[in-house]
Amino acid sequence: MERTANIPLAAWPVARPADRPRVSARRFAALLIVSACLSAALASWLPLQVSIVTVFLFAGPHNWLELRYFLMRLPARFGRSRNFFAVAFAGIGVLTLGYLALPALYYTNVWSGENWPVAIATWNTLLLLWLAALVILRGKQSSRRDWSWALPAAFALSAVNWLAPELFSLAIVYLHPLVALWFLDRHLRRTRSEWLRTYRRCLLLLPLLMVGMFWQLSGTPSLADDNGLAWRITQHAGGQLLPNVSTHLLVSMHVFLEMLHYGVWIIALPLIGATGAIWSTKTIPLARRRGGFPKTIAAILSCSLFAVAVLWMGFTLNYAATRDVYFAVAMAHVLAEAPFLLRMI
Amino acid sequence: MKRTLILSTAICALLTSAIYAFGDIARPKVSPSPGEGKIVFHTSLLVTSDSKASEARLQISQETLKRIREATADASVNESLTQRIVHSSTRTMMAGVFMFLAVSFAGVWLARSSQRRGRKAVAAVLLGAFALGAGAIIVRANAGPPGYLRWQGLPQNLTKGRPTGGGVQIEIVPGDAGMKLIVPLRIEEKSSEE
Repeated sequence: MERTANIPLAAWPVARPADRPRVSARRFAALLIVSACLSAALASWLPLQVSIVTVFLFAGPHNWLELRYFLMRLPARFGRSRNFFAVAFAGIGVLTLGYLALPALYYTNVWSGENWPVAIATWNTLLLLWLAALVILRGKQSSRRDWSWALPAAFALSAVNWLAPELFSLAIVYLHPLVALWFLDRHLRRTRSEWLRTYRRCLLLLPLLMVGMFWQLSGTPSLADDNGLAWRITQHAGGQLLPNVSTHLLVSMHVFLEMLHYGVWIIALPLIGATGAIWSTKTIPLARRRGGFPKTIAAILSCSLFAVAVLWMGFTLNYAATRDVYFAVAMAHVLAEAPFLLRMI
Repeated sequence: MKRTLILSTAICALLTSAIYAFGDIARPKVSPSPGEGKIVFHTSLLVTSDSKASEARLQISQETLKRIREATADASVNESLTQRIVHSSTRTMMAGVFMFLAVSFAGVWLARSSQRRGRKAVAAVLLGAFALGAGAIIVRANAGPPGYLRWQGLPQNLTKGRPTGGGVQIEIVPGDAGMKLIVPLRIEEKSSEE
């Protein structure tokens, strides 16, 4: 059993009304609706420009806040969760290295382009099996849960993945931003339960906005991708995989979801206190516990801030190349979200 | 006697299954002939006559031309999902293996699951699959008439100076033989019947 003293209470701040920022549920809903509508309008109006600006401004900071959040959610002692975190960290490391190795091996002509889908399908399968392992391990931590369905589900998804590996990868690109909304839901449930109903009602707006964007943009001509950067952005949104769909629609939809993702990590979660006091390491269990690592944690956060500054510099000097490198390395944060989300379910 | 009967039945079953298995062996791969075309695009075509024109004209809208260019730019990417799967035996086999594993493990999970809620979920999934299957059958049954029916009135319409429209597939063929329009006309052989 995990000792009560070891449970990181800092992750769930004590619900004292006086400590909370005075934001009513109505204001919270208004903020969500205005943000979502504004994001959809901007993404539909100037997709390429907004994509460039949002990634430049928010990609680095949102990763820093995610890192801080993950450190805060990491228990001081793993206890019964040792196996879960061992599998989680091993998977994040191996899968990220594998993901980075794929283009490297391709450019060094280790395999031909024809085998590219097989390589992608293999990586996707490993990802699914890793997720299934995490779900099963998490399920075993409670006798009330039977999550062994995860294995057949992972196998079924793997089968679909082998039929269309590129489309499966594209689905991950579009689904990943939505995971942030799930994080927000879990936090609201535990810390601001009075906002939860309002939040879930606001979520109904999301499919409506997406249908509206589809209706407005499906008939528009594709974006001019005559320069390298525009081509990269349209390819990232699936322009080549879905040739009969307007790239204006694809890029707009992707930018819209990315803006929501950044909004949750940079505005919504700090607003409800999920990330703790940003500059303080006292809310991080690994730094706070007796015999902990406050200096190491502070160093990690400082180095990460430096990395954000380097990223901005890279974007300024060579936006296209930095964007490519960023989206390859950023796979680590996509993977890291899975175990921490599972810990909250 | 009983043992001989069981043995005979088993041998018969084995032979029968061997016949079925042999019947399921895939056809040998036929390498595509060099003259074989490749369909890259589907659009519509209107055939009409003009008594004042001195030359035959082929009018293509700017948007259609752009789409044809895009379709021919990277024809391998624009293969349909089915074509891509058919052309990759490794991926098809892997998908089959994982499908088999999914069904097997789902069966084991279902058998071991004693929770009523889990069974309800499975029942919901099965019901959903049934609804989708039934929907697919209904949609399939409501599919439109085959494309050649739209072209049946072409000879009469041309004689009367009326336009005829229908679907057309843009096929890229090797060589330098200009353009050819193949119209799917079903000619009724009345004379032989008479």
